[in-house]
Amino acid sequence: MKDGGLENKNELENSKKQSKPYKFYRKSDNFALAIAKVAVAQVCESVGFQSFQHSALETLSDVTARYICTLGKTSNFNANLAGRLESNVFDIIQGLEELESGLGFVGASDVNRCLAHSGVVKDIVHFVGDAADVPFAYDVSRFPVVKERKGMGSFWEKGEEPHGEHIPCWLPAFPDPETYAAQSTARNETMSVSNGVKTGLVRIERKIERPLLNFQQQFARNGNEGGSSPVGGDSGKAREASNSNPYLAAPLHFGEKDVDVSPVILPTKLSNEVASRDPVPENRFVGNQVSVLETFAPAIEAIKSGICEYGSGKKNVLCSQRPTVRFKIGIGKKSLNTTPNFISKNKDLEKIENDNQKDERKRSRIF
Amino acid sequence: MNHNPQSSDGKHDDDSALSDFLASLMDYTPTIPDELVEHYLSKSGFQSPDVRLIRLVAVATQKFVAEVASDALMHCKARQAAVVKDKRDKQQKDKRLILTMDDLSKSLREYGVNVKHQEYFADSPSTGIDPASREE
Repeated sequence: MKDGGLENKNELENSKKQSKPYKFYRKSDNFALAIAKVAVAQVCESVGFQSFQHSALETLSDVTARYICTLGKTSNFNANLAGRLESNVFDIIQGLEELESGLGFVGASDVNRCLAHSGVVKDIVHFVGDAADVPFAYDVSRFPVVKERKGMGSFWEKGEEPHGEHIPCWLPAFPDPETYAAQSTARNETMSVSNGVKTGLVRIERKIERPLLNFQQQFARNGNEGGSSPVGGDSGKAREASNSNPYLAAPLHFGEKDVDVSPVILPTKLSNEVASRDPVPENRFVGNQVSVLETFAPAIEAIKSGICEYGSGKKNVLCSQRPTVRFKIGIGKKSLNTTPNFISKNKDLEKIENDNQKDERKRSRIF
Repeated sequence: MNHNPQSSDGKHDDDSALSDFLASLMDYTPTIPDELVEHYLSKSGFQSPDVRLIRLVAVATQKFVAEVASDALMHCKARQAAVVKDKRDKQQKDKRLILTMDDLSKSLREYGVNVKHQEYFADSPSTGIDPASREE
């Protein structure tokens, strides 16, 4: 069947472009809907249509899907009403009668009718007799495909003894001790090192990440294979994981792997300052930022002194206290009284400019 | 109670007719695939080990779609006949039967499904009219 109904080539192109970023209409059963569209198109073709509008086909396939869902819901309800879990043919016939009751069927008004010779069934029998046998165009496999997941085994399955009498053996077993033992030792180490709260937290996070990652790897492996792997070293598991799947490899610590591919050549001044400032790896980034500010400090001061002295004292105080680079080179009057804070949003810029102008006017009135 | 044996015979006939029909369903392959029907039925909670019931639902759905489509076809042909009456020379062009939203909404209306488009204001009088007549 050809698809027509679009007036111009431009419209066709636009509709093709629009169909992809159609974010608001993403349904979860797109695959089933696509199959339904093909089936409905085939039925329409057998009825006599030669082409269709996209929207019309989508609407009809959606209605078809809803029809099937309604039939299923109604027959399930009828079965449950009769005290059964599984539906039988009479539940379906009742559901069909309910759906056809709008248009009516033969014998609908008969109160004592039997479901076995219902008018609905006779209509279907006639339809099957008349309609041509048009099979579906594609081979469809069973969907949705259910992935078999074998969870972590219970104590009894693993053959392990639970740690206490209060834990029954049919519960899932605890993960291997390596996955959580490293966490407690790391905490003891970092408390003794007094390097600032921030760096301590970073270290704790890194130590926690490692055993958690191991646990996740093990869980993923168990999900795929079933049963727990034998107790082994952390490094062994990490290597195994990295061999099989690079995304499951343990994260590298800073300095573990030397990467010499950076095209950026640090100026000697910065690298010396970094070396002198802080040998600790975590503070290296902070050290870089401070040194950059210092290199540009003379330029900033030159600009400030050339224009106005008001508030320069404030700025210097701020500079020494704040380690991060907040940098703004102003031009002309607009840079009056601005701290070297890099303002990214336009609103803040306007605000500060307005404040500056107000201050200027105030000063002009005073003097 | 006298006519009970007769009615029970009648019921047996109907039951056998039904079971024969269900058996014959396995020979007929509906256009709507079984896997699709099974997916939607399981989504709605339908549970049955019998494959013939799924075929029955598939056939019933195909019948429904065929009825809606044939009603839409009737509307389409009626509209084309009305147009052809006015201009006989357009007979060749209007041979193509297109399933449009307009015809579909009219036919679905009878089945209790409302797919009416919202009215809107347009720039020019020729916006949104039938594409066949737009070619003029």
